[in-house]
Amino acid sequence: MKRRDFITRTAIAGGALTLGLSCKRKIESSEPVEKNSTAALPYSGGKTITEPERKIPVFAETDVLVIGGGPAGAAAAIAASRAGAETYLVERYNHLGGLWTGGLVLPLLSTHAVDKNNRRKQVIFGIGGEMSDRLKKLGMSIFEINPVIDPEAGKYVLDEMIMESGVKMIYHTWASNVIMDGKTIRGVILENKSGRMAILAKVVIDCTGDGDIFNLAGENYDMMNYHIGLVHRLGNIDHIKPGIITDPKPDLGGETPIRGVNWVNMHGDNDQNGTDIITLSKLQMKYRKEIWESVQKIKSTPGYEDVFLLDTASQLGVRMSRILDGEYRLTLEDSMTYKNFKDVIGISGAWTTMMYKGKAVKAENRPLWQIPYRSLLPKKTENLLAAGRCFCFEKELVEDTRIIGTCLVTGHGAGAAAALAVKENKRVRDIDTGRLKELLVSQGAWLG
Amino acid sequence: MKIVLKSETVRIASTLAAFFMALPLGLKGLTGIFVWTSPFIMLNSIIILKSFVVLNLLGTAVLLVVIFKNRFFCRYMCPAGFCCDKISGISRTKVSIHKKMPAVGSWLALISLAAAFAGIPLLILLDPLAIFHGTFSILSGDLSFVTILSLSGFPLLLAVNYIFPDIWCSRICPLGGLQDLLTDIRRRTSRLIRRKPQESDPYSPARRFFLASGLGLISGFVLPKLISPSRSQYIRPPASVEPATFNTLCIRCGNCIKSCPTNIITNHTDYSDLTSWMTPEINFGDGYCLETCNLCSSVCPTGSITHFSPDAKKIIFMGSAVVNYKECLLAHNKECDRCMAACKYNAVKIVPASRLLLMTPEIDQKKCVGCGACAVICPTSAINMIPPLAV
Ligand SMILES: Cc1cc2nc3c(=O)[nH]c(=O)nc-3n(C[C@H](O)[C@H](O)[C@H](O)COP(=O)(O)OP(=O)(O)OC[C@H]3O[C@@H](n4cnc5c(N)ncnc54)[C@H](O)[C@@H]3O)c2cc1C
Ligand code: SF4
Ligand code: SF4
Repeated sequence: MKRRDFITRTAIAGGALTLGLSCKRKIESSEPVEKNSTAALPYSGGKTITEPERKIPVFAETDVLVIGGGPAGAAAAIAASRAGAETYLVERYNHLGGLWTGGLVLPLLSTHAVDKNNRRKQVIFGIGGEMSDRLKKLGMSIFEINPVIDPEAGKYVLDEMIMESGVKMIYHTWASNVIMDGKTIRGVILENKSGRMAILAKVVIDCTGDGDIFNLAGENYDMMNYHIGLVHRLGNIDHIKPGIITDPKPDLGGETPIRGVNWVNMHGDNDQNGTDIITLSKLQMKYRKEIWESVQKIKSTPGYEDVFLLDTASQLGVRMSRILDGEYRLTLEDSMTYKNFKDVIGISGAWTTMMYKGKAVKAENRPLWQIPYRSLLPKKTENLLAAGRCFCFEKELVEDTRIIGTCLVTGHGAGAAAALAVKENKRVRDIDTGRLKELLVSQGAWLG
Repeated sequence: MKIVLKSETVRIASTLAAFFMALPLGLKGLTGIFVWTSPFIMLNSIIILKSFVVLNLLGTAVLLVVIFKNRFFCRYMCPAGFCCDKISGISRTKVSIHKKMPAVGSWLALISLAAAFAGIPLLILLDPLAIFHGTFSILSGDLSFVTILSLSGFPLLLAVNYIFPDIWCSRICPLGGLQDLLTDIRRRTSRLIRRKPQESDPYSPARRFFLASGLGLISGFVLPKLISPSRSQYIRPPASVEPATFNTLCIRCGNCIKSCPTNIITNHTDYSDLTSWMTPEINFGDGYCLETCNLCSSVCPTGSITHFSPDAKKIIFMGSAVVNYKECLLAHNKECDRCMAACKYNAVKIVPASRLLLMTPEIDQKKCVGCGACAVICPTSAINMIPPLAV
């Protein structure tokens, strides 16, 4: 029986009691609504031990402490330091740029959007824009809209800007706990080769991408399981012998600023928990194996023998995990309606299609959108800010909020705000957003 | 004089009301609600579908009134009749051959209803409200010469009345005819009850009834066999009745087209299948069929679109989505999950493709209702919408 027949028949059966007044023809639902399920954590036993109390050396006391050196963290640290605050930046790996560089996610998306006069224009300026400009000057960035960069050049430029602005950079260091004084965060506990240490700070900015710090501080959050991938690069693309037609054509990803080098994105498995260490370990090995095999397959294609696996990303591609439950949740509607915020800290753009009120709006037609300061503010903890892919927004907007362009903007906003709070000796939630906007504009940000 | 004035006022009011509701003004459930007052459409519809919805009470109420007050509908309510009267009034032509023409309205009404019993509401398209409302869907559909031409029934009606004053209401209109017929039956019945002798007339109701319903029944049985079942398959509004019935029951009033909040309903034009001409067709454009909406089904005065509640949408299969993987961004390792994010029925999963490292969207046809969300959101138009696949 065809499905349409089925409906018509149910409909008619529902109302086939001749022509009497009572026979309504109407289709009603009867199926139960499907529910989402959450997988239980794979750890066993629930056994715990108690860590003995101990004294921890204070490595430094500072104005602003930024944890995580991704696009958001780097921008935040530079902004805070340039605004005159003493700033430390802590990063667990050996490079800045996070997923942008170490994650080999090379395209800086959402650089453009449509303004109120219906013109598509650049929206990402400020410190993020400066990074992009410097890379362009080095010849290490291709494409005007949504540029693709070279990751090593990215790491180099970010280091350069960090040093120029006087940020105290601490590499190879994990943030493992927070130091709380009631509702106020006083500092962060770090682990590295020198041991366990603390940095005390007047303001802490969580740029870990996963919201590690606000989680430790006891903030509420939404967990978003998403697809996790592992990006890799291929070399010797320019050695592929021309004129050979194969079906299917091997997938070689997209070009980068370096001749003969391509980057290959990976969607990866859906619905993965990016804060679960077993998941991360398993996926890491699974993906590395798949990438290896895929490259071997490419190499075995006639004409493609010289292609080789240049590298796999040093950071696993966790797209989403914790989303802060902050003072303001930015909505899809805000982003589609030119919503004006009095406390705007930056503007971001659009790179993909969004569904709004039943209609699909393509990237080329999507409006630019403002980000309010309140969406970086946690509800409970004093003197903590969140920036990057874990700030407060509704999930419908995730494809834009998690993107490098937006992370650069929120990072810049948080850094400037932290410096202002220190300077004015105020809680971060009490700063004058008018002065914050002035500071941001003086640092090259564009607020519309 | 007073009464005339009053009836004139009521007529203007009805016409204005009908006119405004016939416009695509986003009136939601009120869109074109005036069509529901036609007892002719109501009878055709309930005979064909053997079912009744609450709004059919409007047509039923009018039906009961016209039995006792002949041509009540014409005199107070009909927007088409009002305009025809006005046009006939200003007409300068002195043509009068049509005055000798017999009034065929009640014949047409009878034939149509009898044919409806046999499965096809033959002349439902001649309902004046259908003609009146259809024209205004020009304002919401996507314009083309053929659609405008096909929907010009109402201007045509006016033109004919200008040349042959009063021809429509008194001679042709099946809705008017139906009212005459009902009054006639009532009168004769009461005479019969009061044992008054019947006057003899060549068109005695019995004779007329016999002839017309015979003709109707025969055409109802024969015609569907002559009209080949619709060859072209296309996506119709959700919960549409099966194609053959739809094509004959739908009066092309455009209520569904005008009410659709995402403007995805257009007029179907296919020269190879004229029975489906001007029926509503889903053309997604940039909108999709909202999971929360049932407007087209609640404004359809004929029941061609079966009334459903929004929470039944997950079992109403209007079409199917098919992925053309070559075009999909995932086939080229590009960042995308739009189709999966857009699907409100969890019908899209992104699963490993046959080639290493690649993923592909996979559509569960048991869950896909054909709402089109994935197709319209896809940045590369890699998803096509087709009429429902049999699962
Ligand atoms: C596979 C994939 C493809 C993507 N494609 C694109 C794309 O094409 N274009 C685009 O614009 N965006 C893309 N994105 C999204 C974008 O890359 C990231 O969302 C963005 O880089 C996030 O920036 P962030 O600064 O918030 O966090 P991250 O880039 O994740 O940086 C966080 C940094 O904090 C450090 N850190 C984390 N925890 C700690 C800790 N406890 N202690 C110390 N340091 C810590 C990390 O080492 C990291 O360097 C993609 C993401 C993925 C995974
Ligand atoms: S058409 Fe697409 S979005 Fe709509 S139900 Fe089917 S798969 Fe889901
Ligand atoms: S929306 Fe289109 S391009 Fe994106 S994953 Fe779905 S089918 Fe592929």
